[in-house]
Amino acid sequence: MPFLIEHLTEIVFVLFVIALLGNFFLIGIALARRQRRQKFFQRVDALREKYAPIVAGVLSGRIPYPQGLHELGSISGPDRLSMLEQLCLEKKPAPGQVPVLRRLAEDLGLVKIWQQRLMGQFDPSSLREALTHPQGLIERVSLLQFIIRAKSAENLGVIRHEPSWPLLVKALEGPHPDLQAVAARSLSAIQHPGSFPALAAQLHKVVLETTSALSLRAIKTALVSFPLENADELLPSLRHPNSSIRFYATDIIREMVKRQAGGDVGFLLDKRNLEPELAEVFLVELPFDENPDVRARAAPVISYLADSRAVPLLLTLLEDSAWFVRLYAVRALAKCRFLPQAEQIAGALTDPNWRVREAAVRTLRSFGAVGRDRLTDHFLRTDDRYSREQIADEFQRAGLIPELLAQCAEGGNGRETRVLNYLAEMGKTSYIVSVLTRGEGNGRLRKKFLQEFGRCSDPQIHHWVEEVARQEPDTELKALARAALMASQSQGEG
Amino acid sequence: MELWRQIFIHGMNMFNLFIISYFFIGNGVYTLLMVLSLGSVWLYNRRLTYQGMDEIRESPVTPPVTIIIPAWNEEGIIRATTESVLRTDYPELEVVVVDDGSTDRTLERLVEHFHLVKMDLIYRSPLPTRAVRGFYMNPDLPNLLVVSKENGGKPDALNAGINICRSPYFCTLDSDSILEGDALLRLMRPVIRSPLNTVASGGIVRVMNGCQVRDGRVVKVGLPKSWLERFQVVEYLRSFLFGRTGWDLLGGTLIVSGAFAIFHRETVVEVGGFAHDTVTEDMDLIVQIHHWAVKNRRRVAMSFTSDPVCWTECPSTLKMLGKQRRRWQMGLCQTLWKHSEMLFNHRYGLVGNLSFPFHLYVEALGAVAEFLGYFMVPLAIIFDMVPATLYLLFVLLSLAYGGMLSIGAVLLEELTYRRYPRYLDLATLLWFALLENIGYRQLVLYYRFEGVVRFLMGFRQWEKVTHVGVAR
Repeated sequence: MPFLIEHLTEIVFVLFVIALLGNFFLIGIALARRQRRQKFFQRVDALREKYAPIVAGVLSGRIPYPQGLHELGSISGPDRLSMLEQLCLEKKPAPGQVPVLRRLAEDLGLVKIWQQRLMGQFDPSSLREALTHPQGLIERVSLLQFIIRAKSAENLGVIRHEPSWPLLVKALEGPHPDLQAVAARSLSAIQHPGSFPALAAQLHKVVLETTSALSLRAIKTALVSFPLENADELLPSLRHPNSSIRFYATDIIREMVKRQAGGDVGFLLDKRNLEPELAEVFLVELPFDENPDVRARAAPVISYLADSRAVPLLLTLLEDSAWFVRLYAVRALAKCRFLPQAEQIAGALTDPNWRVREAAVRTLRSFGAVGRDRLTDHFLRTDDRYSREQIADEFQRAGLIPELLAQCAEGGNGRETRVLNYLAEMGKTSYIVSVLTRGEGNGRLRKKFLQEFGRCSDPQIHHWVEEVARQEPDTELKALARAALMASQSQGEG
Repeated sequence: MELWRQIFIHGMNMFNLFIISYFFIGNGVYTLLMVLSLGSVWLYNRRLTYQGMDEIRESPVTPPVTIIIPAWNEEGIIRATTESVLRTDYPELEVVVVDDGSTDRTLERLVEHFHLVKMDLIYRSPLPTRAVRGFYMNPDLPNLLVVSKENGGKPDALNAGINICRSPYFCTLDSDSILEGDALLRLMRPVIRSPLNTVASGGIVRVMNGCQVRDGRVVKVGLPKSWLERFQVVEYLRSFLFGRTGWDLLGGTLIVSGAFAIFHRETVVEVGGFAHDTVTEDMDLIVQIHHWAVKNRRRVAMSFTSDPVCWTECPSTLKMLGKQRRRWQMGLCQTLWKHSEMLFNHRYGLVGNLSFPFHLYVEALGAVAEFLGYFMVPLAIIFDMVPATLYLLFVLLSLAYGGMLSIGAVLLEELTYRRYPRYLDLATLLWFALLENIGYRQLVLYYRFEGVVRFLMGFRQWEKVTHVGVAR
């Protein structure tokens, strides 16, 4: 045993020395790395200081293009390419600057290099550059080449280099999901119609091949960015036997339409912006699809169609057995032109699913004063506790309580008072009381409120009346509060 | 007498074996994690060069997120935190602050500053919580909602936030933390990129002490003045940069810091939300999700990324550090005990076969073994069972190796993010990484040992850590 222990001691000693040396080695690397990076950033800063104003000047047109090109062309050194890349693409160009930037990148020879790199070919100058820093070499290990390829794809997308789209389409089949995702993104930036079918095919692949490493969101984002004119390329997807593909295609078109509408409530889809065949699919096939997700996503598109069949279809979807189809349908109806359908939308206020009820409230509120009137009517008439709760919720969230109180103070038609009465009965008086408490110069409102609700049994209102009776400097209000308290007291005793 | 002597010798031998195996297994796995993290973080950093934020920011398919901030007696910091969070760069963001029955002016501070009005809104509670007292909103600031509820602890407050939030994903954030402007976009990136349903995504938590904070933003990164806080800076780097990254790479994530993490709401509701029976509800939730995924045969992903940054204040006194570490250790033990059937259970894959046993053996039991080792091994020397030289060398090796792992973490930071810009800061970090194993490690070990003892004694109480208020 002593022999073994001695050996163990030696082994531990050697390990200790190795660990100690390891400490100093790592410290050395960290310090050397810092020094190296500092030098690198000094060079970047110096170049940036000298050339960034030139790039900005060329892009804005302040500096003549040939002069700017000449000056940028004079940058030399082994890291010329990366420096030029950094200077040109450091800031996201404004849409108007993109053509100049593209020309600059072409004339400086960057585009050619990016295209080569995208295809996995490396020119001698870029190899020289790689030799100047270790990470450049590591990136050229074939397994890691996707980094350079993806970066090149990204650069071509930033400058929207249209002639590169076939290369980017090829990159969609690249060996790494990063490369595929960046290629898809760049294709969506370039928006060449020829690339849309390739992206759609990629969508099929991602959905059907469960092993695909590319995310559906990446491909969907790319497709959604294309103009609506390309949507007819998705016709085969909308009729695909696989319901997931139908769902994604419908959802992509929904997003495209939404973007095209851009918040314009009067936006309509007709044969000028949507292929009639595609519109027919939305009117005839998708609302009756076996997959409820497809039916749900079709509703918003149908709501934009300038076709007499659209409204009845939406109303059918409003009665769908799946709650989220009803939800999408009721949301899709939130456009002023569906005001005549307010009655049917109000029907959704008593939907068994609270999300549908909530959406119905919001849809009606989006109709402005008319919708609010409809909501108020429903609130006063309904026996459905849940829909009344939902409307009360929306009255508060939307900040309508001060308005109701103001209308009540001005006399109104008595409806506001009844709404407030109901709210008090439901115990939803916190907002009311906070408006009354905070308000300065709202003597008229408080007077009216004391007259109407001073005897209300709601604890919060009662407490407020007590406070007024105790502390209010306005003698009239104070007297009113005291009278209300006495009345409620005698009411209680009675 | 001889029998007792024999028992003692055998016991000591067993213990020594345990200590040696703990040393080799622990450091072996840590070394593996360090090497993996070096590669992974370097690669991730290179990949960032073509992964801009614009795509996520502008994409219509980026899912909305709700940030849930549970707050209990945080009157000093809550306004700054909420303001900072509201300025977070994210396309569709909702902020829910849950006042968990504070006894100070936390709620009043929020109401006054954001001109909130009390409302009586509908509270649907798929996750049971203590009673909600009221909702506070400003109709002109519709993406902020403050909820006041009866005190029920952090998990209860988080569950209330989950009940209220409408987004498919929610982000938990400690009320004493500050998010970097684009942290949420960065944290959502793996969720968006993943071909699988990513149910949890964690980011890095960095120490705010020593940094300059203005208007709820860290404007200048620096090192704290006190030695205690500096050691914690190194510790956080080691824990997040190579601990979490390494486990993520191996697919064995068992901990995602609840101080800053994104979760898939539906999944969390399905697993029953944050549990009340452990004091580390974040770790418990992750383990619970592993359970749920295996039970329901769901393919889900969890991710850890090292570039979304959340700045948090670390304890600046020994008392507070003790409270924090005892809770962490106690929570670790509680969670491992609660889910003990996962140990070496092949159905859980790498989590059951490596991550769970490692956390049990090295992180939980290791604290006891190492702590007792400082007393038992000298005893063995006294009884002539181990040569003193060997013991001393072993201690030195352990210190040197521990130092190497800490320096490795600082190097990883230097190779990738370089958040500490001054040369002096780097030198200081390296110096503290070297010294961390002499004194500080033993101190933390003592608190961890206490945590295990408290677990064995059945303690379940949260110890509130109060801060000096760097962000105030």
